[in-house]
Amino acid sequence: MLAGAVLLGLLDRPLGLNLLDPMRGVLVFALLGLGLNVVTGFTGLLHLGMAAFMAIGAYAFAISTCDIYPFQIGFWPALGVTAVAGALAGFLLGAPTLGLRGDYLAIVTLGFGEIVQDVMKNLDAITKGTQGINPLPAPSLPVVGEFATDERPWYWLFLVLLVLAVKLCRNLERSRTGRAWLAVREDQLAASCMGITPIPVKMYAVATGAALAALAGGLWASLYQSTGEPGNYDFQISILALCIVIVGGMGSIDGVLVGALAMIGVANIALPKLASWMQAQGIVNPSNVLGSPNNWKYLVFGVVLMVMMRVRPDGLLPARLERAGGGS
Amino acid sequence: MRPLHHLLALAPLALTAFAAAAADDAPAVASGGVLGQQLVTGLSNGMIIALIAIGYTMVYGIIELINFAHGDLCTLGSFLALTVAGALGMEVWSGVGGLAGVILLLVTAATFCAALNWSIDRVVYRPLRSAPKLTLLVSAIGCSFVLVNLSLFWGGLPMQVFGGGVAAAAPKDFPALVPDNSLLPDAWNLNFTTSDLLVWCVTLPLMVALTVLVRSTRLGKAMRAVAQNPTAASLMGINVDRVIGATFVIGGALGGFASVIYALYNNTISFQMGYRTGMDAFTAAVLGGIGSMPGAVVGGLLIGVVRALSDGYIEARWTNSVVFAILIATLVFRPSGLLGAKLRDKV
Amino acid sequence: MKIVSSLPRTGSANAQTTSMVNGIRMALDEVSGAIDGVKIQYEDMDDASPQRGNWDPAVEAQNANKAVRDESVIGYIGTYNSGASKISMPILNTAGLVMISPGNTYPGLTKPGMGEANEPRIYRPSGKINYFRVVPTDDLQGRVAAEWAKELGVKTAYLLDDRELYGKGIADVFEKRAKEIGVTVLGREGIDPKASNYKALANKIKASGADLVYFGGTTQTNAGQIAKDLRSADVEAKFMVPDGCFEQAFIEAAGAANLNGKTYITFGGLPADQLSGRGAEFRKAYIAKFGAEPEAYALYGYEAGRVLLEAVKRAKTKTRADILQAVAETKDFDGALGRWGFDENGDTTSRVMSGQTVENGAFRFAKVLGGAESAPPTSAPGTVPGE
Repeated sequence: MLAGAVLLGLLDRPLGLNLLDPMRGVLVFALLGLGLNVVTGFTGLLHLGMAAFMAIGAYAFAISTCDIYPFQIGFWPALGVTAVAGALAGFLLGAPTLGLRGDYLAIVTLGFGEIVQDVMKNLDAITKGTQGINPLPAPSLPVVGEFATDERPWYWLFLVLLVLAVKLCRNLERSRTGRAWLAVREDQLAASCMGITPIPVKMYAVATGAALAALAGGLWASLYQSTGEPGNYDFQISILALCIVIVGGMGSIDGVLVGALAMIGVANIALPKLASWMQAQGIVNPSNVLGSPNNWKYLVFGVVLMVMMRVRPDGLLPARLERAGGGS
Repeated sequence: MRPLHHLLALAPLALTAFAAAAADDAPAVASGGVLGQQLVTGLSNGMIIALIAIGYTMVYGIIELINFAHGDLCTLGSFLALTVAGALGMEVWSGVGGLAGVILLLVTAATFCAALNWSIDRVVYRPLRSAPKLTLLVSAIGCSFVLVNLSLFWGGLPMQVFGGGVAAAAPKDFPALVPDNSLLPDAWNLNFTTSDLLVWCVTLPLMVALTVLVRSTRLGKAMRAVAQNPTAASLMGINVDRVIGATFVIGGALGGFASVIYALYNNTISFQMGYRTGMDAFTAAVLGGIGSMPGAVVGGLLIGVVRALSDGYIEARWTNSVVFAILIATLVFRPSGLLGAKLRDKV
Repeated sequence: MKIVSSLPRTGSANAQTTSMVNGIRMALDEVSGAIDGVKIQYEDMDDASPQRGNWDPAVEAQNANKAVRDESVIGYIGTYNSGASKISMPILNTAGLVMISPGNTYPGLTKPGMGEANEPRIYRPSGKINYFRVVPTDDLQGRVAAEWAKELGVKTAYLLDDRELYGKGIADVFEKRAKEIGVTVLGREGIDPKASNYKALANKIKASGADLVYFGGTTQTNAGQIAKDLRSADVEAKFMVPDGCFEQAFIEAAGAANLNGKTYITFGGLPADQLSGRGAEFRKAYIAKFGAEPEAYALYGYEAGRVLLEAVKRAKTKTRADILQAVAETKDFDGALGRWGFDENGDTTSRVMSGQTVENGAFRFAKVLGGAESAPPTSAPGTVPGE
């Protein structure tokens, strides 16, 4: 998969594919998916509030770098701040959820997502509310290219960061912590009998997942040079992250990457291209609600989800544990 | 760890309260005698939420699925009601005939939603009975997207419903088939309208009927058995798939009733109305203890009242946060919801 | 050559943007789809995504990048939401592609000192202006709304906004002006646009006894529902809304009975049936082609399309730079909204504002707002509306 991504990066310009632009979105959401994968995939905690961490990351990044505020610490330190802010948020927002079972946890995390969104919108003295914070600086690296005008350096940067994140996740998966996570997911009672204390294990999972999600948020904001409005980090983002993880294969890192490609690819690449093509062919009939391809987007997206789940209930690239015939 | 953990859990509630207080720069409005009115509003809204919440909780109780598509199912029910009302030329309240019309809408929408819900279960969820829970969840999400789009199409079809209104995506006015005047004497200074009365008159009997169904009938017993342990239930000779199908039918019917009541109470429907309503209803179901029907009712009423009081006495822009903060606080002290079974993770 | 538009076509804004696109197509039809023998294509791009149901920053940025990379694109008509423009403006500015918005009203996009400290400089990384708009900004509309309220005899007002960039912005302007001219603001609330009803809020407003309720928002952010719930709670106050609600869908959503006689709508420009000259011709042609009155946004879309095409005609060569130059030099443009030009910030010089009421389920022109400086333009040649 890495080879494919590198090839795409090199060949996009010469072949005129123009795919790097939307692919950047795929990479950012893959990062978000990795974060959710740690929480839900590895540890089995259904989390419906990843958007909150993404928002916290984006705003932490923005407040650290935008020239409206006194900090202005620059791109790379800000990324560090973002990750730390995410981890901190993970600890704070994870704490109340420790005693909760499955779907109660889900609704609480959903609640946090809404609360964070409201806080961002309403405390507009700090967060500038629905105006969003802008502009945000782009990174500058000597050799790679000009970030302001070219989408390729962004692509390479995101790819590198994603690869690092994947490495991190794989290492965690194989480490004692990772195995503790899997144990808690499979059977918490048995795990605690084996000497694994679930509370710190779960906290660590949420903090890591939150840090990754926050990083995704910071990169997202940096890419568009604005946090955008808080409404952009709503429940739909959390749902999208969940779909990426489940469609790709819960607990499987490769699965998350494929899931991100599938979900964002359909929504941001395939559908607009189809709509453009239909317009060019003159098939579009704007006076009839059925005749405009834009009105079919929800339907197509929903059908794709249902079909994928029917055809591959364990995900496109299920984790090896699932494929071996086990199942939760 | 527990006291600290409880303390940490109250942090979001405290944060919300602090933020609301700090950000409250609007001048205070005298709100003495309005409390009663807010309660009336809150309870009526709460009943509608409760009715939809029962649909969520029933399906969850039996197959542990958070049926994200339920809110959007109700949306379709409302659109059907609007179409039927338009086709029959129902525009305003017209006495007893009007009552018959409303009953017709209720029955039609309930039947439609029940049938649709059953079909969805048959086509989408049944093949996935042995799949992981989260696969079902994502399917439900996909289903909700499809239903939303269907509502969008429905809204755009060239039906001549009250002013044409073929703008597919715009919210649609639902005719005020129930009069809007207050039923209480003016001296009380309380606005309890026929819409409020309708909400109560439809939802209460439905809830009673449902309770009777679940407690006393064979189907009800079968539902409870399947909810407790599907394998054992099937060993006892219960056709699990049929019982699940019946649950979807009943849940769908309730959703259908709720959709008409919602439309009559709010007088507006739109293709995205399932989002907030669904979220409120699901929150209510969890608040009351997911799987518990009285819990869903209590949760729904509570959320309705909390919303009204928050809008009235705090600030409308914090209402969503207040609702969730209360949910979180409740779950911290009662992890299975208000009336849920005591099943705490052995941590 | 190609023109593109980037508007939210998926979701609830579809109604307005459809009429905008109709307007753009009509402008194109007027020149028969070609200028100086070169065919002009038009692509109607969507900046919304299904999962958001609204404009999506990722999609908007994608549209902007796509337009920049496509050599045949010489003009970008967009956006509808001011927040979306913030994303695409820097991209298009760096590429020197002209951008004309038929609907952004947030002042900070063009006017220094109106938004954040660093606006609008941050939208012009190249230092030159490439962004223009055909609609007057909220700082004007909010002001005249407050003044009109005072004229109507309003002494106390309760303000609501939808917490979005447009709605909150215009409500802020209204609040500021209202306080300056002696209208007491009894309360200010931000609503949840997705709520099912606002009855509790209406109860609160009733208890406050305000003369007027002002809602900064659009039909999509539930203006209709607010109107309904105010009436069902027996709130006697007048209801005033900005041009985001100036469309038939608003009357349909609210229910005519809830609006008749008590509702006031401001609009940056004159409504279609009050136009003369080009505007009246546009209206006739629109009715002939689409069988309905053009909505406010159809007019904006048409105007944006026309001013772009005029500039293409005038440009020395058909390159982006020359077309941009020609647009910037637009003065005394004979448009459907009157005679106007672009000022040094890229804003329209047209200051005409109008107020509408709702009678019998339809909008009715009430008056021109804003005083002498906003006198309606005549279509006599050589007359330029006041600065």
